[in-house]
Amino acid sequence: MRNSNSKIEIGHGSGGKLTRDLIEKVFLKYLNSEELKPLEDAAYINLKNQHTAITTDSYVVRPLFFPGGNIGKLSICGTVNDLAVSGAKPRYLSIGFILEEGFPIESLEDIVKSISETSKNAGVSIVTGDTKVVEKNKCDGVYINTTGVGEIIKPLSLNNISAGDAVIITGTIGDHGTAIALARNEFDIKAPVVSDCAPLTDLIMPVFEIDGLKWMRDPTRGGVSTVLAELSDITGLGVEIFEAQVPVRDDVRFISDMLGYDPLYLANEGKAIIIASSESADTIVSILKKHPLGKNAAIIGNISSEFRRARLKTTIGGERLLDMLEEDMLPRIC
Amino acid sequence: MDKVKGIIKLIHSLVPDNKNIRIMNVCGSHEHTIAFSGMRSLMPENLEIIPGPGCPVCVCPESDIINAINLSKREDVILVTYGDMLRVPTQKGSIRTEGKNFRMITSPFEAINIAKSNTDRKIIFFSIGFETTTAPTAGILEMGVPENLFILSSHRLTPTIMEILVKDAEIGIDGFIAPGHVSAIVGTNAWNVFSEKYGIPTVVAGFEAGNLLLGILEILRQLKNGKAETSNVYKGVVKPEGNMQAQKLMDKYFEVANVNWRGIGYIPGSGLELREKYSWKDARIVFELEEVKETKIPGCICGTIVLGKAYPSACKLFRKACTPKTPKGPCMVSMEGSCNIWYKTL
Ligand code: SF4
Repeated sequence: MRNSNSKIEIGHGSGGKLTRDLIEKVFLKYLNSEELKPLEDAAYINLKNQHTAITTDSYVVRPLFFPGGNIGKLSICGTVNDLAVSGAKPRYLSIGFILEEGFPIESLEDIVKSISETSKNAGVSIVTGDTKVVEKNKCDGVYINTTGVGEIIKPLSLNNISAGDAVIITGTIGDHGTAIALARNEFDIKAPVVSDCAPLTDLIMPVFEIDGLKWMRDPTRGGVSTVLAELSDITGLGVEIFEAQVPVRDDVRFISDMLGYDPLYLANEGKAIIIASSESADTIVSILKKHPLGKNAAIIGNISSEFRRARLKTTIGGERLLDMLEEDMLPRIC
Repeated sequence: MDKVKGIIKLIHSLVPDNKNIRIMNVCGSHEHTIAFSGMRSLMPENLEIIPGPGCPVCVCPESDIINAINLSKREDVILVTYGDMLRVPTQKGSIRTEGKNFRMITSPFEAINIAKSNTDRKIIFFSIGFETTTAPTAGILEMGVPENLFILSSHRLTPTIMEILVKDAEIGIDGFIAPGHVSAIVGTNAWNVFSEKYGIPTVVAGFEAGNLLLGILEILRQLKNGKAETSNVYKGVVKPEGNMQAQKLMDKYFEVANVNWRGIGYIPGSGLELREKYSWKDARIVFELEEVKETKIPGCICGTIVLGKAYPSACKLFRKACTPKTPKGPCMVSMEGSCNIWYKTL
């Protein structure tokens, strides 16, 4: 049964009966791993592998529901992907909700439902959680924090990167940033751009097997440009990207041109940048292309020791800098 | 691509070795294309492409913004304006940080809708920009706007500021790339004065890198032949006479005024105010706005950059204290501002 009409009350965060109700009627209804069920203060988890990756992230996206996902799906993908690009197999997740008084429980159910679906797709169990309720107008509906634990399968490090390596992207860039911009209805534009929000576990794990794999990162806030600028900053190596090889959806490019955005700076929530030896790059791209999420995978550039910083060779053959930047016009995209 | 390569080669062949050539663009979207395509890296060393006054937000007087902030604090008002305007810093903060009742719009038609659905409030449309945004504002006035909608006009005229620049020997302009969108309204004829009176090649170009390169090539060709003309490589869109209907409406509702350009000062005949006949729609009059004295932003050289006398990289704050997240001056805020564009591409 759906909880229509009911709304979040302050008491739902009290830790008492109402909290218990909410846990049972909403959270456990969809999230019911063995580890979560005892509802103890801490979950016992079983990590086979001693080498463990752990990451945490908070989600405050506005609007909460957008084409291609919602804050719930995002809160799973974001954390799962941080683990996956670290060479880990995501295993366990904790989830914390901050709910605004008055938030419709029906919408919360929709969010929890997609959390359940997405975590299944990603192969992770949600093993512990927390809920707090704040007074009306003290938050924007729902904020979520997730912490993820994964088994390290392929330890990766920026130190592995060397001149001559290839830069690979697993698909089209800028979809999430554009979808959020449009979903805010601040611009008079209608276009069927859907967020790429997706767990990357399945797509990426086969790549762990390839020897030439050096390093990965998911280009979320600040986009591809920011990741590459950071890479160059830390390693002292140069990065060159070829604009003509970077996959961008036509509508994303069109909208970016109109709004003055650059897809290279726009957020992605279901893409990875992979740095790999030049010999292994083609193999990796062909592995990625076998998965639906990787059908637009491409080699987009390379690492060089001949210059520093990250730069783009444009379609007309010009050069420009790629820098670290959050697209300043779009706060709260994840 | 081969065509583009060919144009670039021709550009190189037409630039004389012994002379610096300075071509100015006066449009934020042109500067955007030039910077994002890395066009400058493909040009001969002695050919400069200078960003000029292409950013209306950058020159909007501080006084108008402070007045807008104050208006938005009134309970009976909703201030509406274009997105970039909301974040422009002043001594009193920005509309976004200090304002109260304000909304972002992308077209004047949205202002009408907001007015219609908030009949108990006075909607003040802070209407800024060059001819491209003036025309739609005149358009809604002609359509008839709701009684509770008022206009705070801070419009500026492109040809007037260009004429100021041309006369300034310090800048030394050899050619203009005239703005595509503005030209669609005012027509190529509006630029004849530059080629005829001042002998400056002036070429209307579109927004694709290839089209802009063609524009640059055309300027160089004229310089080589020693004969300045006004020409147009953005033919499908721009006509010699422009959009006469838009011009007529602009003239009906607005009159030329002596206005302040932020960081630059008063320039005679360079702005547009609502005609006296429509003063009952003019927020300046209805709300009895007074001019606030402009303050200098310490270290910011936006005004000099807008005039093409310095590149953003010449500012000591550029990339240091001043970034798109911590903008010190208006040129770092707007996506049409040279500092913002250069920050992302240089
Ligand atoms: S970098 Fe900032 S402070 Fe310097 S001129 Fe540009 S806007 Fe002004």
